[in-house]
Amino acid sequence: MNVINNIKYSIHKYKFLLAQLVSRDFKVKYKRSVLGIVWSLLYPILTMSVMALVFTNMFNMRTPGVNYLVYLMSGLVMFNYFSEASNLAMSSVVANFSLINKVYMPKYIFPLSKCLFVGINFLLTLIPLYALIFITGTGINIYHLLLPYAFLCLFMFTLGFGFILATVSVFLRDMFYIYGVVLTLWTYLTPIMYDFATLAISPKLQVIFKLNPLYWFIKFARDIILYHQAPGLNVWIYSFICGFGFLVIGAAIFKKNQDKFIYYV
Amino acid sequence: MEKREKMIEIKDVSMRFNLGIDKGFSLKQGFVNLFNAKMRKKHKEEKKKNEFWALSGVDFTIDKGEVVGLIGSNGAGKSTLLKVVAGVMKPTKGRVFAYGNICPMIELGAGFDPQLTARENIYLNGAVMGYTKEFIDSKFDEIVEFSELREFLDVPVQNFSSGMVARLAFSIATIVEPEILIVDEILSVGDLAFQAKSEEKMMQMINGGTTVLYVSHSLESIKKLCSKVIWLEKGKVLKVGKKEVCDEYYKSIIDKQE
Repeated sequence: MNVINNIKYSIHKYKFLLAQLVSRDFKVKYKRSVLGIVWSLLYPILTMSVMALVFTNMFNMRTPGVNYLVYLMSGLVMFNYFSEASNLAMSSVVANFSLINKVYMPKYIFPLSKCLFVGINFLLTLIPLYALIFITGTGINIYHLLLPYAFLCLFMFTLGFGFILATVSVFLRDMFYIYGVVLTLWTYLTPIMYDFATLAISPKLQVIFKLNPLYWFIKFARDIILYHQAPGLNVWIYSFICGFGFLVIGAAIFKKNQDKFIYYV
Repeated sequence: MEKREKMIEIKDVSMRFNLGIDKGFSLKQGFVNLFNAKMRKKHKEEKKKNEFWALSGVDFTIDKGEVVGLIGSNGAGKSTLLKVVAGVMKPTKGRVFAYGNICPMIELGAGFDPQLTARENIYLNGAVMGYTKEFIDSKFDEIVEFSELREFLDVPVQNFSSGMVARLAFSIATIVEPEILIVDEILSVGDLAFQAKSEEKMMQMINGGTTVLYVSHSLESIKKLCSKVIWLEKGKVLKVGKKEVCDEYYKSIIDKQE
C-alpha cells in the first residue's frame, strides 16, 4: 500500500515536470521541419509502403483471408512504438546527466517521459492505421474497444524494458551499439511482415517466437482488427504477465541502482 | 534571546569517488581474477589506490538565518558538499538533514534546452527547479522583468550570449523564496549592472531570513555576506569561525607561495 501511495505522491509532485519534458521533446522534434507534426502521420505510411512493396513483390508474401497492408501496418505501428521508445528511454538517463548532476529530481522521470512522448506519437499513427482499415474495407467491430488493453500492456512492457536498458547503459555504454543489433534481430523475430503460421517452421522455433512478449501484444490487436474476434483468454493473460511483469522487474532494477548513476558520469 | 532553530544538519558525512579509468567493470580483469588470487589481491589494492575521498567526516550544523560561506582551494570538496546537501548525491557515509525547501543554484541553466525559446525555457527550467505551473504563471512577468530580456522572449536560447543565458537562469532560480539557498559562485553573472542587481537580490533574500550556504573564491564577497565561514581542506573541515577565518586562509596561501 505504501509503495502505491509513494508512487501517487511522486507522480502528483512531478506531473508538471513530466508534462514539460514531454512537450519539450515534441517541440524540439518538429521545430525545424516544414511539415512538422504531419510527419508523425506520414512516416508510418511511407515505411509501410516501402515494406509492402518489397515483401509482396519480391518475397511474394501473402496473408490468406486478411488484407496484407492492414496486417503489416498493425504490426508495424506497435513494433515501431516499442523500438523507438525503448531506444530513447535507454539513452535518456545518460543524455540528462548534466541535469541529474546538478538538481535533485527522480531519475525514473526520464525513461517515463520518453515512453509517454513516443506514446503520443503512437496514438497519432493510429490515424493512418484506421484510415487504412476503412480504405481496404476491413471494417471495424465492437471489439476495437478492447484495444487499449493491448496498448497499455505494450506501454508497461516498453517502460519496464526501458528502465533495464537505461540502467545497464549507464554502467556499460557499449549497450547503445549492442541494443541496435538486438533490435534488428528482434524486428525479424517478430511477425510484422510475415505470418509465421504460413511459414513452414518447426514447433521448436515456434516456441521461441512465442516467448517474444511483442508477439502477444500484436496478436491481441490483430485478432481484433483483422479476424474480428475477441482475443482468447491466454492472450489476455500472457499480455498482462509480459507487460506488468517487465514493468515491476525493470522498476526494481532501476530503483536499486539509481543512486550509483552519479558516479558513472 | 530568540531560540536557535536548526536548518541543516550534516552528520559525519564522507563521500568517496572512484578515480580509476575502468569503472569497476572489466570482463578481462574479472576473468583473470577468477583464476588468480594474486591478481585479485593486486586489483583490490589498485582499486583502493584509486579511491578518492572528496569529503571525510564533515560534521556541522547550520541554524536558521545563518549565511555560511565555504572556502578552500580547488578540490577541497566544497561543491561536493553543496551537492550532498542539495540531495543530488547520497553520501557514502553519514547523513544530511535539511529542514526546509532548498533552492539549489549549483549551476545555472542546467535544465535549459538550447533549441527552445526563452519563454519555453522559463517553464521547462521552472519545472526542473520544482515549481508548479501556477507559480510560474504568476511570476512570469517578474522573471522577465528581472532578466531584462523581454524583447528576446521568443528567441531560441541557443542564439543568446552566455551573459544573457546566465541572466535568465538567475532570474528563474531566485524567483522563489526558499528557506535554504545553496549558491555555488554565481554572483558574477552578466555585465556589471546585472552583477550589482543580482547581488542586491541576494542581499534581499539573506535579509529576509533565508539560510544560505555559499561557495566562492572571492573572499571579499564572503566577508561581506557571511555570518559564518567554514574552511575546507582536502575534504575535511579545517576551521569554523567568523570573518577572521578568511584572513587566516588568505595568509596560508601567501605563506605557501613564499
